[in-house]
Amino acid sequence: MTAAAGNAGDERSPSEPPLAVALAPIAAAIFVFGAVYGTVGARVMGGPMTLLSSAIVFSGALQFSIAGLLLAGAGAPALLAAALTLNMRHVLLGAVLRPRIHTSPLQRAGAAWFLLDETVGLALTRDDDAARILWRAGPVCYAAWLAGTGIGLVGGSVDALQSAAEAVFPVLFIGLAALSCRNRSGAVRAVTAALITGAVAILWPDARALAPVFAAIAVAIPGGDS
Amino acid sequence: MNVALLIALAAITYLSRAVSLVLMPSPPPRLERFLNRIPAPLFASLAAVSVIESSGDFAPLPVLLAAAGALVMTPRRSLLAALIGGVAGYALGEVFF
Repeated sequence: MTAAAGNAGDERSPSEPPLAVALAPIAAAIFVFGAVYGTVGARVMGGPMTLLSSAIVFSGALQFSIAGLLLAGAGAPALLAAALTLNMRHVLLGAVLRPRIHTSPLQRAGAAWFLLDETVGLALTRDDDAARILWRAGPVCYAAWLAGTGIGLVGGSVDALQSAAEAVFPVLFIGLAALSCRNRSGAVRAVTAALITGAVAILWPDARALAPVFAAIAVAIPGGDS
Repeated sequence: MNVALLIALAAITYLSRAVSLVLMPSPPPRLERFLNRIPAPLFASLAAVSVIESSGDFAPLPVLLAAAGALVMTPRRSLLAALIGGVAGYALGEVFF
């Protein structure tokens, strides 16, 4: 972390690509997710509720889970439980970003709206204040998510994209893991956490939503970085 | 699904994002070092869980090959490279399997 809040201009180091370049593939992926969600959501909860959910929830993982649970006939308690477990990682990601943010509580509260896996990944790899990255990248992601949802709603069917969208999730997370991995020790921790989570997801599918958070904490506890 | 439930889901989501950013004081160095070790394992874990179906079975082969393509590109430490590797892997899976 070398830059504090309030600095004007782009604080990237010479080796960093411009934020727009780093953000473009992320926005494209979010747009695709949004289009698929728009199609799926329209069938499950109707167009207006689908658009409203994208506007006020703004969480692809949770919204897809909600759609799946509604399709399975789940009630409000199951939906709320899904929100609590799936969102637990946000608490962790916020804590990770906190030392990199030097703005007022009010500005941090605003930036929190844009705390996504993708924007956190970007913020962790840039020298600028993390809140500024959230404020600059977040609106683009939000617009891509809303536009994608809208296209999915009016486009009728993007079923052909659904399988591709399923593939984008692991690819995006692998890319974010690579971005945020700084040394050999980090790589070993990442692989170990992935193996633990994979084993839990296979052996105990009901725990799959919480497994990533606990696996990440467990492998981060042993000290030392090499 | 009704609007009240949707608002509750939105509130839970926003609060989960805001609680650490707004309420948590800047952590001491030791805790900061610990927190800095979390993102890569967390993203790797999310990748692992996204190639396994909710039934406990592996995702379809094109999805696994997309993940493999992204893994091959990880030394480049670039999201764009990971996406290119993923697209190549996915296309391979769709064409040949």
